[in-house]
Amino acid sequence: MKKLLASAFALMLVGGTAAAQEDSVKARQALMGAAASAAGIAIPMLKGEMEYHPAVAKAAIATFYGVSVSAHAFFPEGSGANTKAAPKIWEDAEGFKAAFAKFEAAAEAADKAAGREGPADLKAFQQAVGPVLQNCGSCHENFRLE
Amino acid sequence: MRRILYAGAALAVVAGAAGWLLTAASPLGASALSGLQPGDAARGESVFWAGGCTSCHAKPGTEGDAQLELGGGLELRSDFGTFVAPNISPHPTDGIGSWSELNFANAMMRGVAPDGSHYYPAFPYTSYARMSEQDVVDLFAFIKTLPSVEGKTKGHDLSFPFSVSRGIGLWKLRYFSSDPVVELPKDADPKVLRGQYLVEGPGHCGECHTPRDFGGGHDLSQWLAGAPSMEGNGRIPNITPSKDGIGDWSESDIAYYLESGFTPEFDSAGGEMAKVVRNMAKLTPEDREAIAAYLKAIPAKP
Repeated sequence: MKKLLASAFALMLVGGTAAAQEDSVKARQALMGAAASAAGIAIPMLKGEMEYHPAVAKAAIATFYGVSVSAHAFFPEGSGANTKAAPKIWEDAEGFKAAFAKFEAAAEAADKAAGREGPADLKAFQQAVGPVLQNCGSCHENFRLE
Repeated sequence: MRRILYAGAALAVVAGAAGWLLTAASPLGASALSGLQPGDAARGESVFWAGGCTSCHAKPGTEGDAQLELGGGLELRSDFGTFVAPNISPHPTDGIGSWSELNFANAMMRGVAPDGSHYYPAFPYTSYARMSEQDVVDLFAFIKTLPSVEGKTKGHDLSFPFSVSRGIGLWKLRYFSSDPVVELPKDADPKVLRGQYLVEGPGHCGECHTPRDFGGGHDLSQWLAGAPSMEGNGRIPNITPSKDGIGDWSESDIAYYLESGFTPEFDSAGGEMAKVVRNMAKLTPEDREAIAAYLKAIPAKP
C-alpha cells in the first residue's frame, strides 16, 4: 500500500511538473506574442505607414518593458520539447540571462524616456525604441531555432 | 582461365583509370580571369555580405568588426559527419594569404583547392559557381584587406565513405552546374534578373531552403520549397510564392524582412536566418528589393 501511495505521489509530481511546464510554455508564448504585437504598432509608425501617436508609442514601449522583466521566468529546464526554444537556453544559461538583461536595460531606458505622455515625436520614439527592437533578432539568433 | 584473369585484371585497371579520371578535379583554365577589371575591394565588400562569408568563417557568435576576422572554426553537423569551416583570413600559411586570384576563383567557382583536391559541398561552391568572375575577383581583393588570423582549424570529422574526398568528383558529375536554376525570359525585368543572380549565386539561399535527395544534392524540382534542417531541428521554410510559402508576403514585406528580420506578423527571425538577415541588412535597398522581386517570380511549390 505504502509503495502504491508512493508511486501515486511520484506520478502526481511528474504530472505536476509536466503541467507546470505546459503553463510556462503558454505564458512565454503569450508574452512573446504581446511583444510581437507591440512591434506591430511600433514598426509601422517608424516606417510612416501608421500615424504617429505618443500614447500608442508608449503602449508599445510599456509592453516591451513588461515582457523584458518577466518572460525569462518561464523557461524552466526541460520545457523546450516541441517548441522553437533552442537548447542553448539551458546549455548557456548565463548567456541567456545576459541577453534578457540587455533587453530589459534597453526597454527600461525607453520606458523612462517615454515619460507619462509617451515620446513627443517620431524621432524621440525612434531613439527610444530602436535599441529595444534590436534585441528581438540578436536574442532569437542565439536562443531560438528559427 | 588465365586469359579470363588477364582480361579481368585489364578491365579493373581500365575501370580504375576511368574512375580516377572521372573523379579528377576540373579547374578553371589559366586564362579564365583575363580581361577583367583589377579586383576592387570596395565592390568586393558588398559581395562579401551578399555571400554571407562571415556567418561560417568568423568565430561563432562574433559581432561587429570581429565578423571580419575569418579564422574559421564553425562546426556544421550533418548526416555525413561534422564539417569545420576553415581559416580564410589573409594569413600566409594558416589562411589563404598565399593564394593567387585563380586559386581563389577555383575554390569559389569549381570547389577545387590549390592542391587540386575537391572541397566538400558544405562550402556552397555549387551556388558560388553561378557568380560572375568579376565579383569573385573583387571579393578576393576585399578579403585580402581583412585582418590576418593565426591558427589552422581542425579538419572535418566525416564517416567513411564520405571521408574519401575523391568521391566528390563523382558527386560533382551528378550535381555540379553553373547554369541558372530558374528559367527566366531573356527580357525579364532586370530587377528580377539581379535577384536571381543574388539568390542563386552569392546568396546561396537554395543550400538550406531546397531539399536534398539521397545523394546529398539538391532536388531542383523543389527549388526553395523548404527542407528539413541539416542540423536536425525543425524545418527550413518554403520561400516560394505559394500558400505554404510566402505567397501572401508583398515584395516590400520580403525586402523589409531581409533588412530587419521582422516578418509581416512582426515575428523576428531566429537561428541561422538571423545571421543571414544581419548580412542582408548590409546590402543596398535595391538589392534587397531585387531578391524580393525574384522570390515573387519563381514557380510556386506546395
